[in-house]
Amino acid sequence: MKKKLLLASLLLSTSALFAQVSKPIEMPYVEYPMIKGDHDEVAQQYCLICHSWGYVLNQGKKSRPYWKGTVQKMVNEFKAPIQKEDQQTIINYLVKHYGYEATSEH
Amino acid sequence: MDKFSRRNFLSAGLLLGASSVFAKETTKTLVNKIPEFILPVVTFPEKKPMKTISDRPALLASNRGRELFTEAITPNDQFFVRWHLPDMPTYIDLNEFRLEVKGSVTTPLSLSVDDLKSKFEPTEITAVLQCGGNSRKYYAVTGQATHGVQWDHDAMGCAVWKGVRLKDLLAHAGVKNSAKWVGLNGLEKPAMEETPDFFREMEIKEALEDQIIVAYSMNGEDLPYLNGFPLRLVIPGHFSDSWVKMLSEIMVMDEYRPSFFMDVAYTVPDNDCECVVSGSDFEYKRKPIAAMKVKSVIGYPLPESAIKKGSRIKIAGVAFDQGKGIKEVMISLDSGKSWSAAKLGEDHGKFAFRPWSYDWEPKTKGDYTIMVRAINRIGNIQPMPDEIGWNAGGYQYNAVDHVNVKIV
Repeated sequence: MKKKLLLASLLLSTSALFAQVSKPIEMPYVEYPMIKGDHDEVAQQYCLICHSWGYVLNQGKKSRPYWKGTVQKMVNEFKAPIQKEDQQTIINYLVKHYGYEATSEH
Repeated sequence: MDKFSRRNFLSAGLLLGASSVFAKETTKTLVNKIPEFILPVVTFPEKKPMKTISDRPALLASNRGRELFTEAITPNDQFFVRWHLPDMPTYIDLNEFRLEVKGSVTTPLSLSVDDLKSKFEPTEITAVLQCGGNSRKYYAVTGQATHGVQWDHDAMGCAVWKGVRLKDLLAHAGVKNSAKWVGLNGLEKPAMEETPDFFREMEIKEALEDQIIVAYSMNGEDLPYLNGFPLRLVIPGHFSDSWVKMLSEIMVMDEYRPSFFMDVAYTVPDNDCECVVSGSDFEYKRKPIAAMKVKSVIGYPLPESAIKKGSRIKIAGVAFDQGKGIKEVMISLDSGKSWSAAKLGEDHGKFAFRPWSYDWEPKTKGDYTIMVRAINRIGNIQPMPDEIGWNAGGYQYNAVDHVNVKIV
């Protein structure tokens, strides 16, 4: 990932800092690390439709109710097309790798 | 400070990576600790290297961190970025681009950027642009961590905006008597059609206020694409959720149109303190966030700096409010026991950052906590961190800022 980022910043540094833009700007792609296993491919398939994995990393470790609520928000408010079964897979994956089971704060 | 709030302050230091001597006392707050993830620093178009919380939608903060806030004007290429939807146009042809003014008007308008520049009186205002969630991560220091992007004090900036008054555009179009609301929409699009659009609304009487402009220039240049080229709504004194980027549609409406981004996102509890018990869920009556709260941030020195005893340093930062104007900024060098007035810098207008500074010549070695507290002209004062009202969305954080330094 480091290499990619370095390349991205090299490529873009030459065109940065100009106010006038005469051709399409090129948005860099950032590959945020996703922990493998427990069906990370399902999280990848759905979550990344609308946002980078940076959103998840930014939240820090969260409880099961938090991740459940977040996935439900994506489905109910943002209309993410995720079937019930896949929602559960994503919640379990998030809790295991980006959260904790306890329902209340210790 | 009493014992209780002092302890909160110590745990604050812990969370932010200071010593762990007091770990036993603070196991409660450690649950909230955010694991260290080093953000990639990437150069985006028209930007210097930015900390990249997300590339899509783009959530970017200057890699200079607090240091950016020692000056009244934030440079365009370091200005923070926050989009809501993943599909942001990467090219806008000004020959094609039009701003539509339509709905309950007698003459719908379709205006090019050139039309705005040549047919309307230009006006200029220096104003702070601050995300409603700016400084959100500090809620986790004294209470429960909140939902949303865990911004440091870096989702803000101040620029000179030039453009056309919204009320001039509305007068030109002729607002019908039945009109009550103005809807605002920009060119960013969701990935799927079913996802709600980022659509904002304001009451017609608010839209007609003098200081609201449709800006085509930021600090004397075109707006960077990432900050909303070619047009952005500027609502001085208000949080930036309705400063719609790539503004393409002004819809005058007789009725309010319910929408996710108005009714659910960017809301606080609809009560006097705009707060609920820390840890509550969103089950409360809500209202949209609007006017900003008095706030100040330390730009220099940086946290955990080592400063040589006897050196003369200038503690510096910025203060701002909802547009009443900053009356006084106070500094404490002893964790809030005593306070002295900082020197206010150049006044760029009541909606701008007010720079401030304080000369300090530390004579004793040891750990110091520098704190800053601002008061505005109507007597609004920043709360201490353990006094700030909590809300589940983590909006409007404005508690007293602090920086720990070591005199060596």
